[in-house]
Amino acid sequence: MLTTRMKSQPQYPPLEWDRKGRQHIVFVSAEDPALARHLFEDPPEGDLTVIHLSEDAEANASGWQVSLPPGSKRRVTRRLDSALQKLHESLDQASMGARLYLVGNEDIIWQASKVADRFGMGADAVRRHRLGTLARPVYCVHCRTTTRGVRTNVADCSGCGRALFVRDHFSRHLGAYMGFQIDAEKPGELPTIEEVYR
Amino acid sequence: MTTNATALSAVIYKVSELAPDVREFTLIPGNDELFPLYSAGSHVVLSLPIGGRIHRNAYSLLGDPARRDHWRIAVRRQQSSRGGSAWLHDEARAGMYIDLSPPVNLFSLVRTARHHVLVAGGIGITPILSQARELARLGASFEVHYAFRGPANAVFLHDLKAIAPDRVHPHDSDRDGQLEFGPLLARQALGTHLYICGPQGMVDACMQAGARLGWPSKHLHSEQFIAPAGGEPFEVELKRSGKRFTVPRDLSLLETLELNQVDTPSLCRGGACGQCELEVLDATGALVHHDVYLSAEERASGRKIMPCVSRLDGGCLVLNH
Repeated sequence: MLTTRMKSQPQYPPLEWDRKGRQHIVFVSAEDPALARHLFEDPPEGDLTVIHLSEDAEANASGWQVSLPPGSKRRVTRRLDSALQKLHESLDQASMGARLYLVGNEDIIWQASKVADRFGMGADAVRRHRLGTLARPVYCVHCRTTTRGVRTNVADCSGCGRALFVRDHFSRHLGAYMGFQIDAEKPGELPTIEEVYR
Repeated sequence: MTTNATALSAVIYKVSELAPDVREFTLIPGNDELFPLYSAGSHVVLSLPIGGRIHRNAYSLLGDPARRDHWRIAVRRQQSSRGGSAWLHDEARAGMYIDLSPPVNLFSLVRTARHHVLVAGGIGITPILSQARELARLGASFEVHYAFRGPANAVFLHDLKAIAPDRVHPHDSDRDGQLEFGPLLARQALGTHLYICGPQGMVDACMQAGARLGWPSKHLHSEQFIAPAGGEPFEVELKRSGKRFTVPRDLSLLETLELNQVDTPSLCRGGACGQCELEVLDATGALVHHDVYLSAEERASGRKIMPCVSRLDGGCLVLNH
């Protein structure tokens, strides 16, 4: 239905350290042992803190733990709200010159971005890398509810129940894709529903 | 722009000697209207009649941005002055009319900053004063570092302390040496923006410390107006009009173009704003860049020049103008 790429849709270049930074905070919520190894085998200068959101009880077997460079700190939590709270605490202690790396699915990356925004971190102090599910957070333009974990091209709004078409139009401010009612003119007439965001 | 350069008229209302080489001028509107509003950090360009021609210099507005009935500027006598600051020190008197441009801001505050660090060196205090007034009014978090050479030169310390009683850090460079930027920049919280106005060496030291400590460049703001330095005379050829002039030793390229009625938009006339940028098509001498606007890459390309302060070291300059 939409063939050209939306300018608003974020792109995530391969993740590398920003070596101009003097303190590095990594917020990870998905696993990629090869990426962890790649980053951690040549860590940047300065303090390194990893905030690790892992629902897995075996988090200590994660690449984010086994490859962790000596001298760096890792704080593990199973809950998103507690991970965001730990991020808030770390940024509160950080000084100008710190860099933030957000690794995980888009929903979590952009929720964490809101925390960084509150600390006035500009685009040149934050790097983002998408990892894990492509499921989308979808913002209903009618009732302003965000429905999380949407995998289909059309999904019911968790707020008002409207059948929302999921656009590629992304709002960094809201951290969600825009969804609008697909059957407003002909109620009940829906396109084939497919799982497109795995 | 050239057409705006003398859009306002003012009367010198009061002249105060603040230090042997620093004078403050209070300007009031030259007609019955109020001055326009300006934002903190703005400057105006004064048109001064010197030796039968108009000499234009930029000065920051140091007063309260909310006041429209008078504006304040301060002028330090430049040792290498070609007439502007010397005229304001030796010739300017209360009651004289002066033409000036509307305010332009190349040094504005970032309203979303969580904390502001203002740094002034010497006469660089002028834009910092209006910024401090604005931040105090907004109730924003800020601190001011004011470096000067000996108490006699701390001309605005009293004003500054009145604006922000507990946030002013005076620094007497004669007594304490150079202001150290390392410790100052290392301890600032995330979301801090720094603004510095002062001598070139001081600004350079600050920017280097910021880069070394990992400050993103967008958080480091500076303003410097460079006085046009004279140099070797050179020829200038304008490709579009086919005109050709000689730029003499003591005039800038921009001034020469203006004397010859070649319309060249300009704003700050001090190498800071980029408005007067011209495209270089050919040059048979070395380009001597004095501006703080062009990037190192742009300078290296040899395709651009800021005619307000930069020139050619002899030879002929061909411009797409």
